[in-house]
Amino acid sequence: MKKRVLAAAAATVATLVALTGCTGSSDAPSGAGVPTDKPITLKVWSWDGTVKEAVPGFEKLYPNITVDVINAGSSTDEYTALDNAIQAGSGVPDIAMFEYFSLPLFAIPGKLTDLSEFGAEDIASDYVDAAWGNVTIDGKPYALPSDYGPAALFYNQAVLTEAGVTAPPATWDEFYEAAKKVRALGGDRYITNDSADIFLLLSLIWEGGGRPFKVDGSNVTIDFTDEGTTRAVEFWQKMLDEDLVNTKVTGWSDDWNRGLNEGTIATQIIGSWFTSTLPERAPDAAGDFRIAPLPQWEAGETSGSENGGSAMAIPADAKNKEAAYAFLEYFTHGDGLQSRIDAGAFVPNLSNLDDEQFLGTTNEFFGDQKYNEVLAEASKNVATGWQYPPFFGWARTSYEDVSAPLYNSGKGTLADVLETWKQRSIEYGNEQGFTVK
Amino acid sequence: MSSATTNAIRVHKRPKVGLLFIAPFAVLFLFVLVIPICYSAYISLFQNKLIGGNAFVGLDNYIKLFNDPQFYDGAIRVVVFTAIQVPIMLLSAIALALAIDSLRLHGTKFFRVVVFLPYAIPAIVSTLMWGFMLGIRYGLIGSLNEAAGTSFDPFAPETTMISIGVMVTWGFTGYNMLIFYAALRAVPRELYEAAAIDGANEFHIVRYIKLPALRGSLVVTIIFSIIGTFQLFNEPNILATLVSNSGITSYYTPNLYAYNLAFTGSQQGYAAALAIVMALFTIAIAYVVQIKGMKNVLNK
Amino acid sequence: MSSTSSALARGKKLYTLSNPRKSTTLTLLTGLFALYCLLPMVWLVINATKSQQDFVSSFGLAFGDHFALWDNVVQVFTFQEGIFARWLLNTVLYVVVGALVSTLLAALGGYALAKHDFIGKRVFLLVVLGSISVPGIALAIPQFLLFAQLGITNTPWAILIPSFINPFGLYLMWVFTAQAVPDGLIEAARIDGAGEFRIFRQIAFPLLAPATVTVLLFSFVSIWNNYFLPLIMLKDPAWYPLTIGINQWNKLGSTAGNGELIQNLVITASLLTIIPLVIAFLSLQRYWQSGLALGAIKD
Repeated sequence: MKKRVLAAAAATVATLVALTGCTGSSDAPSGAGVPTDKPITLKVWSWDGTVKEAVPGFEKLYPNITVDVINAGSSTDEYTALDNAIQAGSGVPDIAMFEYFSLPLFAIPGKLTDLSEFGAEDIASDYVDAAWGNVTIDGKPYALPSDYGPAALFYNQAVLTEAGVTAPPATWDEFYEAAKKVRALGGDRYITNDSADIFLLLSLIWEGGGRPFKVDGSNVTIDFTDEGTTRAVEFWQKMLDEDLVNTKVTGWSDDWNRGLNEGTIATQIIGSWFTSTLPERAPDAAGDFRIAPLPQWEAGETSGSENGGSAMAIPADAKNKEAAYAFLEYFTHGDGLQSRIDAGAFVPNLSNLDDEQFLGTTNEFFGDQKYNEVLAEASKNVATGWQYPPFFGWARTSYEDVSAPLYNSGKGTLADVLETWKQRSIEYGNEQGFTVK
Repeated sequence: MSSATTNAIRVHKRPKVGLLFIAPFAVLFLFVLVIPICYSAYISLFQNKLIGGNAFVGLDNYIKLFNDPQFYDGAIRVVVFTAIQVPIMLLSAIALALAIDSLRLHGTKFFRVVVFLPYAIPAIVSTLMWGFMLGIRYGLIGSLNEAAGTSFDPFAPETTMISIGVMVTWGFTGYNMLIFYAALRAVPRELYEAAAIDGANEFHIVRYIKLPALRGSLVVTIIFSIIGTFQLFNEPNILATLVSNSGITSYYTPNLYAYNLAFTGSQQGYAAALAIVMALFTIAIAYVVQIKGMKNVLNK
Repeated sequence: MSSTSSALARGKKLYTLSNPRKSTTLTLLTGLFALYCLLPMVWLVINATKSQQDFVSSFGLAFGDHFALWDNVVQVFTFQEGIFARWLLNTVLYVVVGALVSTLLAALGGYALAKHDFIGKRVFLLVVLGSISVPGIALAIPQFLLFAQLGITNTPWAILIPSFINPFGLYLMWVFTAQAVPDGLIEAARIDGAGEFRIFRQIAFPLLAPATVTVLLFSFVSIWNNYFLPLIMLKDPAWYPLTIGINQWNKLGSTAGNGELIQNLVITASLLTIIPLVIAFLSLQRYWQSGLALGAIKD
């Protein structure tokens, strides 16, 4: 597998030169204020391994700048480290990586730089609307999207065929019927797994138009009773009630890998970035997996949602902001972007999503399907207007607590769980100085 | 212990020498632990809001803690766990130390290493290993269940704590064994010889020489085992991401709760209050154990 | 007194008690516990021989299709520009310096607690005991802020200085000194005019060999396995110890995201990190031989 990736990367090197010409819509780097006379070292915290691919090109452009990309931990580990550094007043990086849901937590208390001072809005049109929406908080851009996760359906065609499902389910009703057929194969076989994965549930709600969180400054409203939310919750409740979802396997565990590998877990409703890691997890299922658009709530609709994805921001205490923005823009939008795409990054830049080379990508693992066509479409279809509450990091952990009785022993309903979750979130949010209703 | 020698030392009255011996430890200790603890105690009186900053709240965090059912849930769990797991572990450790010290084993050196080895395994790896050993889908238990037609689940909400007990006992028995073993090795062999000449059999030697020699070590191991299990963290923390429906919540143990409060909830003041209450509780118990068990040594 | 002690100690072959008849029953019983200890280890060894593909697809206690141990070892040492070797060296630095210093400080302090009277001894003990009862997690942030003030975060000092303190070792040395070093010996030396430090070095310290080795080994292992502190203190992978590095490798594939799945490297790296500990343990074995403290009989 690894060799294949390398081979693919090598093959694209040839076309790279031509491509960089196209993607580089910014001929003169917008960082006009970047000092070029004194040596600068940029510290970048990123657990996205592709960022370092863009460094050599950038350093060639700015010989006085050295970029130091450090993996300071993933997700919460990094946020803790960043908070510590801000509190200590030393060691704050010039650029840091954030999952979209974690941006408001840092942006609202003023810990991030408002990028409009560098003219970030000028490049907004290169991103799909929803991605730009993710980095816009109270109308200001606080980060540039660097990685995208439109939800899609990854399905094991061999298993679905065995169960008598000939085409990937296009609606959730079809998904339900397919789930019953897969379950009828007996034993441990399920269409998918879910052990209180909040992002999975939210991606269904999001797609169907539910907007349970509304954030306006420090005012947060939580409501799980709007139409889109209710429909998704009732649907998933039905899946759980009829034992059509394996609740015994948790995502990213060894059991999960093995379930995907041997086909006892037939599909995943997950972000596009899953393409790069599924082949390692399910080597025996090579050639069996395909990617389809997210099933729809009504036949013929083309709505979409996100599951995961991240952005890069400049902390308010960063020392070299101009240089930092120059690099940030370089690897998320400018000439450095292609090197990251070649290394496996999935980005929400329209320049890439419309690129023939990108759309033509195939992989034996996915039966030589041109899967990026599906994923590019999914990216553009992501419904806009979604917001995360600023304390979502906390809320996610809290959801695992409150949903445990339901998933452990079937006590209560998803709707009850969400109601309890809402109450806890209101209590916590208000304690933290927000106004939560 | 004759009082004559004790007095002889006291007569020397060189308190400064004692302080000199302890000074390097004490100075670093002050710097690394005492000052941060004082700082922790200080921040436990504050609430740092995401919006609105830091505010002095007095004892509010403590009052909140004593009304927090999640705190009690975790605290009771570790107390029960400690009451069951620590005796099992320490008795096993003593038995092993006696067996290895008796020199009656084939391959004494082999056992000495093997029993200690689990302690050397990093928590992440040991949890991965045990996740497999106890796994019901692809692990050993799964195979056993299949063979026996049973459906025992080591990571159901009711059984997870037992599995954690198996893991902790595995990791720390050898550690405690080594302390007991070192204490036994410090007993002069000639004592046994003298006892044998007086007609004592092996059982007598164990009962009247070896077990009393373990007394000081036993107090140390009890205290440190209590401190250790009260701070139970790694196993539930890693297991939570490894198995589903295990019943492990974010407040499963007080330490896990403190971690989640501080690192995902930004409630550092509340987490500090929790840590300090747990520490006081641990000290109280450790102090009782120490007073009961340590009198002889301390008064020497 | 001390001359007879060593003479008798050396003559241990004279005693049947030092070399008793072996018991098969006892060996079998201990063997059961050893099995409990070893079974997960067997898993580790077997799985270190598997490629990532075999790891996902084969039964845990069975070998995979390919014997990939050597490939895995090579990959461990070459992955991410061979950073594993750097982590290994860092760990050795932290462990060797940390374990030696902390054991020495514990021995000095334990000796003082057991054999000297000084003001505030009880209070000191209580403070030590109290401090270690505070969960390390609650201290991580204050410690970080303190170290940041001194500008030593993200340097080896941030790991070394805290590792010099081993309260458990202190406590253990205190208990052992109280039991293994007879007051009479110290008294006799004082009457002979020996200085306090010389008494410690030449009389007490040798008697404490089994305890010192035990504390040394514990320090060694606990620094080797130190996780939380380096996680908070270090941001530069060039200073990581092995535990942080291995955890980071593991997290690549076990947290949501498109990180590389390298369980085979995590397991092989874990196996490799155990080997130095086994060597350390084996090479310290002989220091547990006792019989040094004959003088204690009189006490």
